[in-house]
Amino acid sequence: MTTYIVRRLIAMPLLLLGVITVAFLLTYFTAADPLTSIIGERQMNNPAVVEAARERWGLDRSLPERYLIYLGNLVTGDMGTSFRTRQPVAQDLMVRLPATLELVIAAMFLGTIFGVVLGVLAARFRDGPIDNIARLFALVGASAPVFWSGLLVLFIFSVQLGWLPGPGRIDTRAVAPPFVTGFYTVDALLAGDWAGFRSVLMHLVLPASVLGWTVTGIVSRMVRASMLDVLSQEYILAARAKGAGPLRVLIHHALRNAMLPTLTILGFSFAYLITGAILTETIFSWPGIGSYAVAAARGLDHPAIVGVTIVGGAAFLISNLLTDIAYALVDPRVKLSQQESS
Amino acid sequence: MRTGIRTLLLAGAGAAAILSGSAAAQDQPLVIARNLEINSLDPHRAFCDTCQIYLSSTYQGLVKLAADDRSVEPLLATEWTSNEDQTQFTFKLDPEAVFSDGSPVEAKDVKWTFERLKNLQADPSFMMNGVASIETPDEKTVIVNMESPNSEFIGILAAPYVGIINSDVASENGATAGEDASSADQAETWFLANSAGSGPYVLDTYRPDDELRFRVNENYWGDAPPIGEIVIDHVADAVSQAQMLQSGGADIAMQVDPDTASTINSPDITIETVPSYNFIYVMFSPGAEGGDMLDLEVRQALAYAIDYQGAIDFTVGGEGELQASPIPNGFPGTEGLPMPEENLDKALEILASKGLEDGFTLDITVASLNVYGVDLTLLMQKIQQDLARINVKINIQPVASAVWREQIANPGIPFSARFYAPDYYGSAQYVQFFGMLPDTYWERNASGQGKVDLVNKSEVDLFQQALAASGDEMNRLYSEIALEMIKDRIIVPVVSPNLILAYRSEIEGVRYSACCNLPLAEIGRK
Repeated sequence: MTTYIVRRLIAMPLLLLGVITVAFLLTYFTAADPLTSIIGERQMNNPAVVEAARERWGLDRSLPERYLIYLGNLVTGDMGTSFRTRQPVAQDLMVRLPATLELVIAAMFLGTIFGVVLGVLAARFRDGPIDNIARLFALVGASAPVFWSGLLVLFIFSVQLGWLPGPGRIDTRAVAPPFVTGFYTVDALLAGDWAGFRSVLMHLVLPASVLGWTVTGIVSRMVRASMLDVLSQEYILAARAKGAGPLRVLIHHALRNAMLPTLTILGFSFAYLITGAILTETIFSWPGIGSYAVAAARGLDHPAIVGVTIVGGAAFLISNLLTDIAYALVDPRVKLSQQESS
Repeated sequence: MRTGIRTLLLAGAGAAAILSGSAAAQDQPLVIARNLEINSLDPHRAFCDTCQIYLSSTYQGLVKLAADDRSVEPLLATEWTSNEDQTQFTFKLDPEAVFSDGSPVEAKDVKWTFERLKNLQADPSFMMNGVASIETPDEKTVIVNMESPNSEFIGILAAPYVGIINSDVASENGATAGEDASSADQAETWFLANSAGSGPYVLDTYRPDDELRFRVNENYWGDAPPIGEIVIDHVADAVSQAQMLQSGGADIAMQVDPDTASTINSPDITIETVPSYNFIYVMFSPGAEGGDMLDLEVRQALAYAIDYQGAIDFTVGGEGELQASPIPNGFPGTEGLPMPEENLDKALEILASKGLEDGFTLDITVASLNVYGVDLTLLMQKIQQDLARINVKINIQPVASAVWREQIANPGIPFSARFYAPDYYGSAQYVQFFGMLPDTYWERNASGQGKVDLVNKSEVDLFQQALAASGDEMNRLYSEIALEMIKDRIIVPVVSPNLILAYRSEIEGVRYSACCNLPLAEIGRK
């Protein structure tokens, strides 16, 4: 397995280079000149202003020149300066990636727990009321648009009931904890800021639930289907015949095997949510990668677009690798070294 | 054992801290929910609505726009004079004025600021157009010499973008005012984390797309502002802004649209609707690809076919005003101008006289934007219905704003919609942007970069006279220019949307300002 992991890790930079090259070319060939988002309308007819902006942002250079300069800078960790935020893209990503990861991890946690429980219950009580309720919940979770469910939960739990706070990562009147990891939960704890920690946790509940609901929908349906398949296997019958209790059969024998396809889905979901939490981030004013990507695309912010693409590409590559490893760990029949040789 | 007891004690203290809640309400920061959309915090590169709020709170100009949104009052300058032909302006600085680091505001700072603004060649640099030289005969006197008359110069100086910077501090951090400033200046990153002005607040923190936090300037030389700390929280969505306001998460919501405002029925929330100087307009570009048939008469016919009041009702639920010319209501020269008129009969008559009774088709693009509560695509769909009544068909293609801006210059868009908000109080900016003077933004775009001649010589002459005039004569001249711009029928204002100020009832001092949007230092708690 070690050889396999090392090979995959070595291949990653090459794959990322391909991703960077494609992203760079695509941004270059977009329909509009990025100057239109750098300079206001009033000054677009002023040659001195246009020339100064072109020079400042390196837009007066040829494509190969810009590409080589970008790659050279990237090696030193410099991803350029955002046309929109006017800050280094690496710095922007350093702040926003933890925000998105914190949200996605919380969403994955909630979504997986609820999804697995619902899936198991639905399979165990197949075609009964519990199964129907679980399937309905999953259906709504997988299909309800976030801009609707997000505003709905905000209206109910924040405005009407006042149980949970509104948008943002922390109380708007509070100061964010000092930056250590970028995860506000961790940074607040490290700073010994209990009030801040409480505020951060409370602010996570609604966006993580809304985002996690989609995961719940997918996971519960996958677990249900897998469980129904596994529960009809002969080894389950054998386990029962050996006197194993219903709960042990369900959890230890059935669920463990039923989780294999779910792991694949979870791996993809994690990478997808990192770049796909856009609507949740917008509704909940969550300053993460998703909202950054959208703003970058709308503002023709080329350095930011390429930066987000690198992060997204890396997220998919890493999550794929981790999924493969988890697969091998959960199912002894899967041998990564065999995959490698085949 | 001792470790275990300490852990328990810490956990207990933590739990107590969690339960004890936050600090007393009166000491809490004021929270404003709005879409930040900041392009920079460097005073000479920034150019946006939130920038106006930021700059007018952390920097101060020589003069400021008074609360009546028309007159100019002293700020860093206690007095000023101009020569008769408006080519030389002399300012005396307030001897009490100090920057946030306690150092005095001096003439050298003013000279440095104006020169950097001009030489940086950035968005607000046009405000220093025509400045020939700046003299500083002593530490508290500044003389600005212009290349040609400019009666609006004092009004321009009230703009937030012309706030005076502490030149020593800025220079130490990479700023330069030299002629090579556009390439040599390296201070923008520093300005994103620091302010160097003399305003009532200083920049505390800025996190793009998250929050902009101010704290009070401890060395402020004027009356201390009522609120010690203010946070502008980035909330892009109008509904989310309203929800934050209702739940107490925000004290002020700045971009609540009329529909959302109508859903707020809380006695704790005050909702004020005030006229704004912002406006949405449609424009004709006869020089654009596909715009050949849009001669003056056809433009006039199309303008007659628009149901202006219906557009206001449709886009902002009636919460808007008609606007006569590209110079917004209330600006110099706009009094008594004829409002746009819907006249279907006239429109049909004109088209028939041109042999166009069967109409024609225009393929147009419009930016996918919701600005000041108006969705530009929806507005164009309403106008599409209006023009269908005179057999003119328009095919609308919504595009990203940046793409629209690329297309409007080349190959041009024959008919579309856009918006404008004032950069300062004064009418010259509108003539320089919308007027059919050589090389203005809209003269270039509407003419297809010079393919057709749209220059209005009367506007050119009147504008030169207006810049050299003052008082009533200046107003009269701008009124004549406005009438010429109406006659051009290139820019047709459709709606000036009202501004909705929604805030919690314990907040006072909230008002809309033509130059600065929301003057933060006037806001307090009852």
